[in-house]
Amino acid sequence: MQISVNKENGKLTIGVNGRMDTVSAPELEEAIKNNAEGAEELVLDLSEMTYTSSAGLRVLLVAHKMMSQKGGMKVTGVTESVMEVLEITGFADILDIE
Amino acid sequence: MKKIKNLRKNLAFNVIGAIVIMLMLFSIIVSIIGYMSFTNSFKKEYDETTYHMTNTATASVDPTRIDYYLKTNGRSSDFKRTQRYLDSYCLKMNVSLVYVIKVDTSDYGRFTSVFNSVGADTPYKPWKIGHQQDTTNEEYARIYKDMYENGLTRGTVYRFTDLKGAPPHITSLVPIKAHDKVTAIMCIQRPMKEIREVRYKFLAEIVTAAVIMGVFVSFLASDFIRKQLINPIRCIASEATRFANENKRGRLPEQFARISEISDLANSIYKMETDTLRYIDDITEITAEKQRIGTELSVASTIQENSIPNDFPAFPDRTDFDIYASMTPAKEVGGDFYNYLLIDDDHLAFFIGDASGKGVPAALFMMVTNIIVSNRVQAGDTPAQVLTEANKRICEHNKADMFVTLWLGILEISTGKVTFANAGHDDAAVYRKDKGRFEFFATKHCLVVGAMPGTKYKDFDIQLNKGDKIFLYTDGVTEATNADNKMFTLDRTLKELNNIKDASPEGIIEGIKKSVDLFAGDAPQFDDVTMLCVELKETQQPNLKTLKVDATEENIGAVNDFLGAFLEEHDCPMKTKMQIELAIEEAYINVAKYAYGDGAGEAEVNLSFAENELTIVLKDSGTPYNPLEKADPDITLSAEERPIGGLGVFLVKKTMNSVSYVYENGQNILTMKKVIE
Repeated sequence: MQISVNKENGKLTIGVNGRMDTVSAPELEEAIKNNAEGAEELVLDLSEMTYTSSAGLRVLLVAHKMMSQKGGMKVTGVTESVMEVLEITGFADILDIE
Repeated sequence: MKKIKNLRKNLAFNVIGAIVIMLMLFSIIVSIIGYMSFTNSFKKEYDETTYHMTNTATASVDPTRIDYYLKTNGRSSDFKRTQRYLDSYCLKMNVSLVYVIKVDTSDYGRFTSVFNSVGADTPYKPWKIGHQQDTTNEEYARIYKDMYENGLTRGTVYRFTDLKGAPPHITSLVPIKAHDKVTAIMCIQRPMKEIREVRYKFLAEIVTAAVIMGVFVSFLASDFIRKQLINPIRCIASEATRFANENKRGRLPEQFARISEISDLANSIYKMETDTLRYIDDITEITAEKQRIGTELSVASTIQENSIPNDFPAFPDRTDFDIYASMTPAKEVGGDFYNYLLIDDDHLAFFIGDASGKGVPAALFMMVTNIIVSNRVQAGDTPAQVLTEANKRICEHNKADMFVTLWLGILEISTGKVTFANAGHDDAAVYRKDKGRFEFFATKHCLVVGAMPGTKYKDFDIQLNKGDKIFLYTDGVTEATNADNKMFTLDRTLKELNNIKDASPEGIIEGIKKSVDLFAGDAPQFDDVTMLCVELKETQQPNLKTLKVDATEENIGAVNDFLGAFLEEHDCPMKTKMQIELAIEEAYINVAKYAYGDGAGEAEVNLSFAENELTIVLKDSGTPYNPLEKADPDITLSAEERPIGGLGVFLVKKTMNSVSYVYENGQNILTMKKVIE
């Protein structure tokens, strides 16, 4: 899994490319924690994320809770299968999905 | 400083320097010896002459009148006459002193002067008769004593150093006797001036001569040595250096040096140059040739590798039997081989063989045999028929008199019956599930293939039951040697087989390979090591696949690959595939994280497919735990209220069509089913 990080004017954009599973999820969590300083808004670009397991969902929830005290978090480009998982688990109602 | 250091190593400097030094030493020694010898002779001669002078003088003194002269204080006329004679004698002889004394015989410590004459250039004043004087020293006293008492007829005293203003001199003493009784002593003192002069003159002459001769001879010698020895050697040295640097032939002039050894040396160097260049050419050629051969062997090795099947698993879609084999040649190419093929759906042919010898000849022979046997097998012959025909064909073209051992078996899969023939090969080891161990299955060995045309071969049968295995090998296994020249042996092979008897054919072969490697240690591999193992498997559910892994989170990759490969064969749509992946990951990760606590353990994943339905069974031997007991998370809670975690099992339940759990035989067994459209 590849992570891309882009910081601009307090907006932190992180792109996930590949599979997010138990082994790779900690990488995303690292990336978010390391770059959250001074970021008012977090955008997670999941258009290249092909798959996620509950470990990935966990990271999304942690990030969401962290950013809710600042400017909030957005999730973009969600694929169909990932969307299904988000709906089954009720995450679709919690996260800001575009 | 460096120049001087280099000088010390220089040949010319050393040789010529040595000559000069030796000549100098020689001159010095000769000079010293000559000088000493000369001095001694001269002294002796001086001594003699002085003695004779003294002796002659005694004749002029009347020995009987000494006391009278003393009593009359020298007034008598014959005293005066004698004194006058001695005076003129002294002058004529050119000596320092001529004197006659009478010694006090009590202790020889004193004497009285009787006659006394002094020479021309002396500082002495003549003593008057009757003058008394102390004996000069012990030396004199001893001479006096010896003359008066022991009949000494002459004495000499040398004084080399200046004393009281007197230069070095020699004193000669002769007793004056009357009727054999000493009445006085005649003494003549002669300066050694002459001897000193003569000595120095001699020394100067000899040293000058030595130096001149030395220098002259040095020049001659060094000239000769330089021309005949040093220059040629230098020339040879520089030629050798040049050759060492340039590796090109040089030329040394004819008539190089007069000294034959030097000439020989020059010629030898020249010859060595020529030879060395030739060797260099030879070696270059040989190395290139060697490289070419190495490349060709490497290609040959690849060709041989590809001529025997080594793609495993060999028949992945057959669950009723399993086969595995390996061949490790001793050199780049080997004479051992194996082969197997499905003649039809129900018949598996497998064989192993060992061509005589090693390397390229054996490899070529082996490939020919392999092809012939494979052909005959596919034509439907029985093993005996195959070997008979193969033997006939090989003998026809066997000019090199090689042969090959062969063990060929044909397994009828549905019945488990194996028909086989043995052409001089090692007996197979058979594992019986009901007996629970490997044993050798010995049969009559027919003659090796390729030895004699017309050899007849015989078929044998062996009935395999489900779970039984046949292990074939070549003597590279049993005869593997270690550094102590001990062999692996049949006994040890059987023992090792029984240590790993429950493993799959691959496990068995890899296990034996490891044992042999461990046994052989650093000893080089002498023979090709080849093994083949066939298992008649117990009937399983159709299309059941099993994966066993250590239950760690890292192994999720292996689990996913296993699932992916399985689903490939069953045309699974992408969305369903992802759901199944998700379910397996969640279930497996839970086991990996929690089943064994801090310890380690295994997890088993079974996949099977029947009637459009995929069944996944996940087993572990960890803490008993039913994941389905856990309550579902409340997905209606807001983000703030949602606890982190607890989603895994929920996802499994939601994505799979059915999920069930049972704890059986010490194992947690989770079964998930998914319909695949």
